[in-house]
Amino acid sequence: MEISQTVIIENKLGLHARAATKLAQLAQKFSAEVTIIQADKKANADSVMALLMLASNQGKEVTVNATGDDAEQAVKSICELISNKFDESE
Amino acid sequence: MNLKLLLQPESTKVIHDCSSKKKILEHIALLASDQLPDHSNAEILASLMNREKLGSTGIGNGIAIPHGKLKSSQKAVAVLLVNETAINYDAIDNKPVDIFCALLVPEDQCDTHLSTLASIAQIFDDKATLRKIRKAETDQDLYKIIEAA
Repeated sequence: MEISQTVIIENKLGLHARAATKLAQLAQKFSAEVTIIQADKKANADSVMALLMLASNQGKEVTVNATGDDAEQAVKSICELISNKFDESE
Repeated sequence: MNLKLLLQPESTKVIHDCSSKKKILEHIALLASDQLPDHSNAEILASLMNREKLGSTGIGNGIAIPHGKLKSSQKAVAVLLVNETAINYDAIDNKPVDIFCALLVPEDQCDTHLSTLASIAQIFDDKATLRKIRKAETDQDLYKIIEAA
């Protein structure tokens, strides 16, 4: 199964190191292969390094794409994490 | 800002004697404080330790990016340490860490900080560069590898 959803980076600091680490840790829990797409850049969601290279700041639109058995759950969880500002206060 | 613009030869070192996360952070704070006359060694160390408490900055593949925010600081400063042996750093992939690329940044520079992190990731994502970094024997060699990356 392949599924995609687009979300906006809401937190003030954007996809900084701690947020990227949270995202990678969450993506690693799923067997589906998860990719974060931002304009013409793509990152393997399991890799903090790849996520940092996106330099996604507040207001950027990113697409979460997943392929595999638990793709739907993976996309849902990751989009929630991003929409919930990675549990950050601002 | 690009790492290459932030990194100075004096703060780029091949080291042999650091056996713990604490010793690494102390070494980073010492080198950073030379370039940040308005901030004490202790203040810099505290900012690095506070960040690690929120979660390890070990981002995988033996690389860590310790960083801290400094109040009323005027400029960002980078320190690169490569330790002879990899140490336990609670990294995301549980692998020990031997490359430490540290950043001390002024508060409220979110977008600049993100672009600096991206430039660091870009350099350290390259396997050939990593091999060269781990083989570097002198501080000068290490600095040249980053300049050429």
